[in-house]
Amino acid sequence: MMKAKKVLAMLLVLVLVVSCLAACSKKEKPKEDTPVTTPSDDKEPEDDKTPDDTNGEDANAPDDGDSEEKEPEETNTAGSTPRNETLYFNGQQWNAINAWNPMHANNNNWSISNGASARVIIYETMFIYNLLDGQLYPLLGTDYAWNDARTEMTVHLNPAAHWSDGTPLTADDVAYTWETHKKYESSTYNNNAPYIDAVEATDANTVVIKSVLQDDGTAVNPLMVDSFIAQTYIMQKAYVEKVEARNNNDATAMKEDTMEDFVASGPYMKYYNDDQKVVFIRDDNYWGTALWGNLPVPKYLAHNIFADNPAGNQAFSNGEVDVSQQFNLNIADMMANSDTISTYIDEAPYNICVTMPTAWFNVEKPGLDRKEVRKAIAMAVDYDQIVSAAMGGQCPSFTQVPRSVMNPTEGEQAMVDQEALKSYQWAGRDIEGAKKLLDDAGIVDTDGDGIREVDGVKLSYQASCPQGWDDWNASLEIVAAAGKEIGIEIETYFPEASTYYDMFTNHDFEIAMWGTVGAGITSPWARVRGMMSSEFIGMMSNWNGNYGWYKNDRADELIQLIPFETDQAKLKEYYTELSQIYLDEVPSFSLMYRPELFHNTNETVWTGFPTQGDGRNIPPTDCTDGYGIAALYYLELVE
Amino acid sequence: MKNQLKQVFHSPRFVIGFVIFVFMLGMAVLYPLLVPGDPLEMVASSSYPPGTYISLADTLESKQYGLDLDITATRLNKLISQEDKDAMVLWLTKYRGIAEEDIPVEDSVEMVHFWNEHYDPEVEQKGLTNAKRQYYRRLASRMATILETKDIIIATKNPETGALEESNTISFNTYTNVKDIASRRNFVLGTDNFGRDVLKELTHAVGTSLKMGLLAGVIATLIGLTLGLLSGYLGGLVDDIIMFVTNLFTVIPSFVLIILISFSVSQSARGVMLVGVIIGLTSWTWTTRSVRSQVISLRNRDHVNLSKLSGHSLPRIIVQDILPYIASYVVMALILQISSAILAEAQLSMLGLGPSTTKVATLGLMMNWAMTAQAPLAGRWWAFLPIILSIALITFSLNLMNTGLDQVFNPQLRD
Repeated sequence: MMKAKKVLAMLLVLVLVVSCLAACSKKEKPKEDTPVTTPSDDKEPEDDKTPDDTNGEDANAPDDGDSEEKEPEETNTAGSTPRNETLYFNGQQWNAINAWNPMHANNNNWSISNGASARVIIYETMFIYNLLDGQLYPLLGTDYAWNDARTEMTVHLNPAAHWSDGTPLTADDVAYTWETHKKYESSTYNNNAPYIDAVEATDANTVVIKSVLQDDGTAVNPLMVDSFIAQTYIMQKAYVEKVEARNNNDATAMKEDTMEDFVASGPYMKYYNDDQKVVFIRDDNYWGTALWGNLPVPKYLAHNIFADNPAGNQAFSNGEVDVSQQFNLNIADMMANSDTISTYIDEAPYNICVTMPTAWFNVEKPGLDRKEVRKAIAMAVDYDQIVSAAMGGQCPSFTQVPRSVMNPTEGEQAMVDQEALKSYQWAGRDIEGAKKLLDDAGIVDTDGDGIREVDGVKLSYQASCPQGWDDWNASLEIVAAAGKEIGIEIETYFPEASTYYDMFTNHDFEIAMWGTVGAGITSPWARVRGMMSSEFIGMMSNWNGNYGWYKNDRADELIQLIPFETDQAKLKEYYTELSQIYLDEVPSFSLMYRPELFHNTNETVWTGFPTQGDGRNIPPTDCTDGYGIAALYYLELVE
Repeated sequence: MKNQLKQVFHSPRFVIGFVIFVFMLGMAVLYPLLVPGDPLEMVASSSYPPGTYISLADTLESKQYGLDLDITATRLNKLISQEDKDAMVLWLTKYRGIAEEDIPVEDSVEMVHFWNEHYDPEVEQKGLTNAKRQYYRRLASRMATILETKDIIIATKNPETGALEESNTISFNTYTNVKDIASRRNFVLGTDNFGRDVLKELTHAVGTSLKMGLLAGVIATLIGLTLGLLSGYLGGLVDDIIMFVTNLFTVIPSFVLIILISFSVSQSARGVMLVGVIIGLTSWTWTTRSVRSQVISLRNRDHVNLSKLSGHSLPRIIVQDILPYIASYVVMALILQISSAILAEAQLSMLGLGPSTTKVATLGLMMNWAMTAQAPLAGRWWAFLPIILSIALITFSLNLMNTGLDQVFNPQLRD
């Protein structure tokens, strides 16, 4: 009896081990190009928790896109598309889509992201930004021009543009889009109201945008109008009126309408979405063939919703994701060991870094109101360690590009005088320098517990960023380690993202990590404004900048002057002075340079992604954002 | 007592468990003594594999030895794989139109020469993915130097003129003895994502875990024992009340309680010992229940009744007449409590609710960062395997010791 039991036990262990090994074995078999109708049998049934469809493609997937009526057990095959017609993404959608409404305050929708490089796969803007050359390129608009006084901008629309329902897209739609935002006070309106007075249609294809004027007759800020034409999704007048009718013109209801039946002008339409995946299908009647010459190549864009970064990266390394927008610490190793994974640039930093994740000080907290304390922390941090350990070498270091208010791109670096900043900059890991700075300021440890005090208050702070943002978490740990060395207690705190947003945007933090404005038509001015402008002091739910409520009169003055200055030499002077103030007062300090979007590609199925030096001038913005969308028109299947 | 100890050490299970445990304990105590230093110091700039790292600059200054070894063959073996050769053939046939039989595949040296002669990154490579193109570029740069046997010149820059001045020449048969190099560091288990020495951190973490486990185990056992003794011996209302509370705690999963309590304590206060106390305070219930049932069976024994009749006080009866009979059981319970406390800490830290990273090394924190840095995906086994092994070994040894004790003390299992 005992013997039998033992044998059985051994058998069971053996089975377990074998099945583990079988599950671990690499499935590097070439992916079938032809769709198969049954799930291939090398996959065990319990493995089905990843709803990837490389193994369960269904050629008979209905084309009507009407997914709401599907029975639950069909969800795994519904929305499945042939692998060789589908471009897979990750890192852009983390939960189920909640709305298709550009006015919605909390959109969780992969297709809606109207930053400086707006995502134009479903809704479109008039112009699209290219971060490689800093220019706006035509989309719905063909050209734009300022009047001599820079108070009015005239935009011509592409007469070929039409909506997904076939009706032409006209200047009326543009004007009505602004009207709608204004009427319901959406965030788009709130952000632009101080600068834009009116958007008027003068004929079917001409729009005039009028600036708000100051007392002396000049525009408040012409730069913001430039950004408006590249960031505002144009909505269809007829459709918006329909939505208004069903919501009785109620502002809250309008902003919260999910717009499931939306009408848009972009190259893709919604096809399937649930809490597992989102699929868009190409609109073969897309007007943009007039602009681009052909339709975008992939028939479907798909985004599986991954549990977390590791899951997404695993899928990416398996070739189940073509374009990865996820931070991937090990991309260099992965590239060296694979002949399908590539990045925009062959070697470090692999991507174009345009933003700076920054540690913001709440300057109203005791101790952090002293610039010596702020600067000492900034001086003690080991930035090279952050670059290598937290970022995996995917950004230039502060020795390569010394700190200022500029991002590391050549264009921006040319607008600041690095020589004049030398004495203000710090290299990091300067423990002795930081200690001396504090000692000289009389900030010492008086009670012998190893922590310094200011006016009897212990220098003990909480440094926070959202849980699961791996590289940021690691960076703050390195900041905390630096604090320990100089007698300032820094504890890290990583709450859930929503909790963090709440405390961060409402000034309820001590040290918090958040990015600066990246590349855009208004940068670097917008970045400097976000770093130091006092207009954000006292603002709650503040997503715009100066989260720590720092105030400097000279900085405010310079921020006012820049939008009207066209003389490059003068601008350089202003930006240099702003950098000096920023580096001297340290209202916040950048921890690293970082790309705004990661753009890693796995060429198992698709190839032809933009790379540096390919002469196409397409930015690495994931084939979806700003002028990066052009990449979709060049993709090819791997032979 | 002596006899019992002897018996215990005759149990093979106990002995194996004990040896493993002493080994782990010894490592945690001795290693930090032998190799002092801050375990949290970020020595390396990121996660490096195990090995001995020597300063490149020092090798230039060190004593040189001439060895007559075939360096080319070694390099060829190490740096070119069959896959590389296949790839080269593929490229040459496809983009250079060279017939396969013209390529000297058999002879590696010839092959490299042939490749260097014919490869040109500027050739139009239609249908080649960007990743493949990069692969060929990497391959080509490796091939370009693989047969190089010219002397390497070391030069320093003259600070005044900026001109390079030759300071040393290294030929290809020059070797150095690793022992001669002053600046070297041996990372037996590599470094973690912050560049910290994994072995050093691990030994500290094992020590911390054991300390914390002991604290939590002692707390849990003390509470469980006291309540169990009282409830079992006194019975009646006291028993009802104690069992009511115990049942309450049993119903709520203790790990949920631990999470909730840890979450409500700020991280600055959440040191290792506090985590130990929290775990101890939430995991005493099963000890209470089992001690109580043992006591109930003991309380009507003759010697206990005799003691009662003699007018002995309650504490005396419990300590002298009941406790000795369940002592072995209590020790076993303590061991199990320690092992589950170590696991609980690891789980807690994995969730980010443990002690803070910059203050102390714990097994759970190390696991947490290994997962965060995606060490398993990147194949960096040294960042997580040793930790898993340590946790497994500690709990395994404790459980083994427990089974061994059980074999000795449990009459039903005694051979």
